[in-house]
Amino acid sequence: MRIGIPRALLYYHYHPLWSTFWRYLGLEVVSSPPTSKEILDQGVSAAVAEACLPVKVFYGHAFYLAPQVEFLFVPRLVSAETGTYICPKLMGLPDMLRHAGRKLPPLLSPTLNARCGPRAWEEALTRTARVLGFSAGQAKRACNAAAAEQARYTAKLGEGKTPLDILSEGKEDKEGGQDQNLGTQKALLLLGHPYNLFDDFISLGLLRRLRARGYRVTTAEMLSSRLIAEEAARLPKALFWSLGRLVLGAGSYYLRSGGVAGIIHVVSFGCGPDSLVGELLERKARRAGQLPFLLLTLDEHTGEGGMVTRLEAFLDMVEWRNAS
Amino acid sequence: MRAYLGLDVGSVSTNLVLLNENGEVVTGLYLRTQGNPIRAVQEGLAQMEKQIPAGMSIAGAGTTGSGRQLAATMVGADAVKNEITAHAVAALNELPKVQTVLEIGGQDSKIIILRQGVVVDFAMNTVCAAGTGSFLDRQAARLGVPIEEFGSLAERAQNPVRIAGRCAVFAESDMIHKQQLGYPVEDIVAGLCEALVRNYLNNVAKGKDIQAPILFQGGVAANVGMRRAFEKALGFPVIVPRYHAVMGALGAALLAKRAVAGRHSTRFRGFDVSRWRFDVSSRSCGGCGNQCEVVEILGEGKLLARWGDRCGRWSSFVLEAAGK
Amino acid sequence: MKITFPHMGHLHVPLRSFFSRLGVETVVPPPISQETMAFGTRYAPEFACLPLKVNVGNFLQAARLGADTVIMAGGIGPCRFGYYAQVEQEILRDLGVDLKMVVLEPPQGHWRELWHNLRAITGRASLKEIWRAGRLAWRKLTALDELERELHRVRAREVTPGDASRAWRQIVDWLDQAETLSETEEAAHLGRAHLAAIPLREDDDVLRVGIVGEIYTLLEPAVNLEVERVLGEMGVEVERSIYLSDWVKTNLVLHSLHLRNDREEYRLAAPYLGHFVGGHGLESISFTIRYARSGFDGVIQLAPLTCMPEIVAESILPKVSRDMGIPVITFMLDEHASEVGMRTRLEAFCDLLRERRRQKKRSQRAKELLP
Repeated sequence: MRIGIPRALLYYHYHPLWSTFWRYLGLEVVSSPPTSKEILDQGVSAAVAEACLPVKVFYGHAFYLAPQVEFLFVPRLVSAETGTYICPKLMGLPDMLRHAGRKLPPLLSPTLNARCGPRAWEEALTRTARVLGFSAGQAKRACNAAAAEQARYTAKLGEGKTPLDILSEGKEDKEGGQDQNLGTQKALLLLGHPYNLFDDFISLGLLRRLRARGYRVTTAEMLSSRLIAEEAARLPKALFWSLGRLVLGAGSYYLRSGGVAGIIHVVSFGCGPDSLVGELLERKARRAGQLPFLLLTLDEHTGEGGMVTRLEAFLDMVEWRNAS
Repeated sequence: MRAYLGLDVGSVSTNLVLLNENGEVVTGLYLRTQGNPIRAVQEGLAQMEKQIPAGMSIAGAGTTGSGRQLAATMVGADAVKNEITAHAVAALNELPKVQTVLEIGGQDSKIIILRQGVVVDFAMNTVCAAGTGSFLDRQAARLGVPIEEFGSLAERAQNPVRIAGRCAVFAESDMIHKQQLGYPVEDIVAGLCEALVRNYLNNVAKGKDIQAPILFQGGVAANVGMRRAFEKALGFPVIVPRYHAVMGALGAALLAKRAVAGRHSTRFRGFDVSRWRFDVSSRSCGGCGNQCEVVEILGEGKLLARWGDRCGRWSSFVLEAAGK
Repeated sequence: MKITFPHMGHLHVPLRSFFSRLGVETVVPPPISQETMAFGTRYAPEFACLPLKVNVGNFLQAARLGADTVIMAGGIGPCRFGYYAQVEQEILRDLGVDLKMVVLEPPQGHWRELWHNLRAITGRASLKEIWRAGRLAWRKLTALDELERELHRVRAREVTPGDASRAWRQIVDWLDQAETLSETEEAAHLGRAHLAAIPLREDDDVLRVGIVGEIYTLLEPAVNLEVERVLGEMGVEVERSIYLSDWVKTNLVLHSLHLRNDREEYRLAAPYLGHFVGGHGLESISFTIRYARSGFDGVIQLAPLTCMPEIVAESILPKVSRDMGIPVITFMLDEHASEVGMRTRLEAFCDLLRERRRQKKRSQRAKELLP
């Protein structure tokens, strides 16, 4: 049996967990290749105009895999942490995809809802495995193996590697990831949702470009979840979007502690949570007045030229400030 | 006597500035790019060659604008800079105490915030033409009013009409609607200026700490109606520099001067370039799903540069040639 | 203390009544105008949804009239509304506008906090007084909703365009001024009579259109460009998926007591949308199905531009529309929405609905004539 896992949205967070789980159960796991123009175009043509770029990209990856697999793995991501949601669109994603008017294999869409308990992934994956005829024991063992793999991945993130670096480990074609020069003093904080930052095509090679200019790139994933939680606790009200918490938590941490030369916040055009999270972060940064701050908005029309101009101007600003 | 050449190659206009050793403008040229930046650069060089005073020689050249890479490849540049930094440098040269630069060009617009001579924040238009000069051009054509008369017409308005619309297309339908209702043309023209200023302040300049002294640069700054509309909205006097239309090129020339300081050589190929034969060829690279359009630039039959690919397989060549 | 609150349809009537009954000074923000929108667009984040922008405009205008405290509801996500108050507070703070925010969060087992916040406003009023003020406000709200349904019926059939809308403004005024329960009943009675006195057309060929979508754009005529009035004056009878009193009842009261029963909505939507997606996204699907089943001619979806739950619904509605055979049109609203553009599309939509109706009748008649 072949199961397709689109390389989009929270793939960048959870792919070790997902693919190990299915592989352990003896399924052949097929991931889509890194985003390309073809994949994006497919997604854009099927999604409603108002949908955000990451959702369109997801559609494209799903359509790419559709003819090659027996099942598509499209989890319904309600909540990944207690007390939070991710985004309404991810809660409706399997339904949106199913009704997009394209021929698709059956979707395997377990509902992940950490609001219902801390063992949400295990329960969600087990339920789906049972549907495919696996025993509870088999599912349990697969869950353990998957959780161990995910833990290894998280540990690597803690060492200063980005998901993109880990994805391209041991590969000829680095797909935009490359070894961090951890010794470099100049560091930039790159904030944003992993599916934007670590999709080399969508981010127009942002990570590569920053490193080529000699910067070490720090992301929110590299901070411990305890630190993020501490930082988030300072907010006037608990933020109920987990990705937003990560961005705001990491941003506030560095605004207070310094240690980076500037902050770049990458958002998708029309992203709901980020329209508010980004505003809060930008106001904080402006009030603190210490660190240069750049907001980069991505959509399917983002031209490379405009992005490069903004980025170069920002880095000039960072260097100019440091020199003065 | 040493002189410095600055080129600003944008999608709408190509500007050239010749600067003397004291940083004063000797000649400024403004040409339409008309979709052919190569011809515009060559035409500009030919005109410049005729106007350059005897005894002056080019000691450095700088390029900026969206076509900065192409221009640098063609003429040989000592400085290749993004237009934000170039505009900031020119503004500081004009008025060292400047704190805000408003710039509205044909296809894009930007705001630059400076403090104590250092850029601390900036933004460029994200969405579309609503905050740019092409908005006015388009509406002027619609109204049958020459764009040069826009400013003086706007000054005569008694009650500027409110024109709604995020983008040029919607604003146009609203403007036509107001026209059909019989509003006088000067009130509509003033209304258009106010709409452009409003869109600019709500989009490009959103959340920026606008403080006097304010410089208003770019081709649109020639329009008195626009300056008034800015002053009305901001409550500060707005200064339009003498060379407002070519500030990008001026900045590029200043950057070139800095780059060659203390050196006695320049990468500038000389005015002969205006008579060279340039060939551009492009082809679709089949290396992956991205199908990048790879562009090759040949001067007098010699390969000067290649770009357009995302992976760097072809473009690594240009990095050496353009001297970045 | 002078309190204010955001506008949303006729919400200001019961709110003003409630607070002034308790002796709390109240500043109702000026009606939403060009200036309100301009303030919001200028100071709120560009890609924030429209209600937040209008809220900011409301608060700035109310502050100018002396308000010093804002009271508004909170939420627990995933819709952005739950974090409005915090963002708005930051915007006001950076503008140097001194407004205190009192946010009534839905109690997740923490009744004390809600009580504490409520007490901060009601001051020394006794429980009995609060109960009475609440009862009066509630009655005003239900009377308004009841009369509004009647308004929709009458407006689609009025002989002289504008009669019903004029009467409605009068009715809102009467209910706003009523100071006791009996005065409220009297105002409601007068209102019914007022609407009943409007001369109606004989023919009963009105189109019936259901309106679904996000609550704020549904309830606030100033941001939906008075879509209900425009449709009514085109001879269309509208019904909304949300009325304010239903919403207060299900979301504020029953939900807090864990008695909310929307199993029916989930059941209806299930073939298309298998999960709650925040806001009223799921209801947009279930109500479209309801309207199709009750023989409505068409459905209009309203939402603020970038509204997440409604984008989910918008992605699915074309399939519902095909399956159920009911035309659906979506309007995503923001500060740039133009009345001219909307009217054009509404007229075209109604033409389409009328034509469908004619064809349906014709084929029915053909069936009857055939042996």
